[in-house]
Amino acid sequence: MAMAALRREGRRFASLISPRPITAVRSSPLYPTLEDEGPLGLRHISTQVVRNRMKSVKNIQKITKAMKMVAASKLRAIQTKTENSRGLWQPFTALLGDLPSADVKKNVVVTISSDKGLCGGINSTSVKISKGLHKLNSATGPEKETKYVILGEKAKAQLVRDSKKDIELIITELQKNPLNYTQVSVLADEILKNVEYDALRIVFNKFQSVVSFVPTVSTVLSPEIVEREAESGGKLGDLDSYEVEGGETKGEILQNLAEFQFSCTMFNAVLENACSEQGARMSAMDSSSRNAGDMLDRLTLTYNRTRQASITTELIEIISGASALEG
Amino acid sequence: MTLNLCVFTPNRIVWDSEVKEIILSTNSGQIGVLPNHAPIATAVDIGILRIRLNDQWLTMALMGGFARIGNNEITILVNDAEKGSDIDPQEAQQALEIDEMHNLACLFVNVK
Repeated sequence: MAMAALRREGRRFASLISPRPITAVRSSPLYPTLEDEGPLGLRHISTQVVRNRMKSVKNIQKITKAMKMVAASKLRAIQTKTENSRGLWQPFTALLGDLPSADVKKNVVVTISSDKGLCGGINSTSVKISKGLHKLNSATGPEKETKYVILGEKAKAQLVRDSKKDIELIITELQKNPLNYTQVSVLADEILKNVEYDALRIVFNKFQSVVSFVPTVSTVLSPEIVEREAESGGKLGDLDSYEVEGGETKGEILQNLAEFQFSCTMFNAVLENACSEQGARMSAMDSSSRNAGDMLDRLTLTYNRTRQASITTELIEIISGASALEG
Repeated sequence: MTLNLCVFTPNRIVWDSEVKEIILSTNSGQIGVLPNHAPIATAVDIGILRIRLNDQWLTMALMGGFARIGNNEITILVNDAEKGSDIDPQEAQQALEIDEMHNLACLFVNVK
């Protein structure tokens, strides 16, 4: 009771005596709402508010750390599959060549992206490259047309906005079941059935290492174009030196070959993109956990400073109250 | 002079080594490939691939695909492949029986 009286006495003087607590927080744009002005422009930050903020930042840090672990384990699982599938498309390139510069009328751009977000910038780069290809093709001539086939929600969201009339097919939720060749070959079949094409350009992110993902374009030419290029010589000229067996006509074999090539390249592309997605998510979650940790450090310093300031103020009140009574 | 044989499936590399001779079954019949064969690109049927290394024949079952032969390099791309030594005859027999029953059942459904 007496102490309370002393305190009340002291408080009247405290505002005259106690210095302004130096808070670096004042300059930070993050905390304008935490301050409340006392009499004579004294600034106090409520410790409760800072503590709440610290709790939420700590929770976010826990979640992002967990997401990073999950992405790391998924990456390990899918990486072995990807490396095994790399041997698939190399013989095709060796036989049929990779001709990104082939001049064709009907281009189809197959953009592969992820369904879920929080994976860094890989989907934006794929979409940027697809749009670039589109512009490149339409710039070289009026009769050239470019259509999109989209795999994955993220590319769909970005491309639907400005290229809606050019989209032929949209496929999402690819990774609901673990990726396997049968599923992808059925997909490739669907695409080949529904879309007329002279050249298919598959845009995806190739997985080079856990921190580097290179956007790549794989070109698959239709059999007619392959014939045309083989006759004109150049890289595909060797194709004619191969005696083609196992069917009625060479054209039929080339058709089969083109379909098989497309499904193999699609399989590899989808796996590589999935790997890149997990790797990008791992590094994004890692950097956000680190940022959360930094933020937590800064908040802890602020909290301690505030706590100490309020203790100092209270002490001064009591002491000044006591000395006022004596003197 | 030996042939370098690679057999790939979408999920793994089944075979990658040097061999003396192979016998491949395409849809226009079986072809035997010896070193210095002419370049050939052919479709491979569902059938058996025989590989000879040093007078010993190995068999592998292939589920259809493509083969490219040139410059003493053979590349075979198939949907699936199983080495003969990896196939358990009991299991295969059971699978065959189940498939036959399944086919009969389908026939009944269709007839109805």
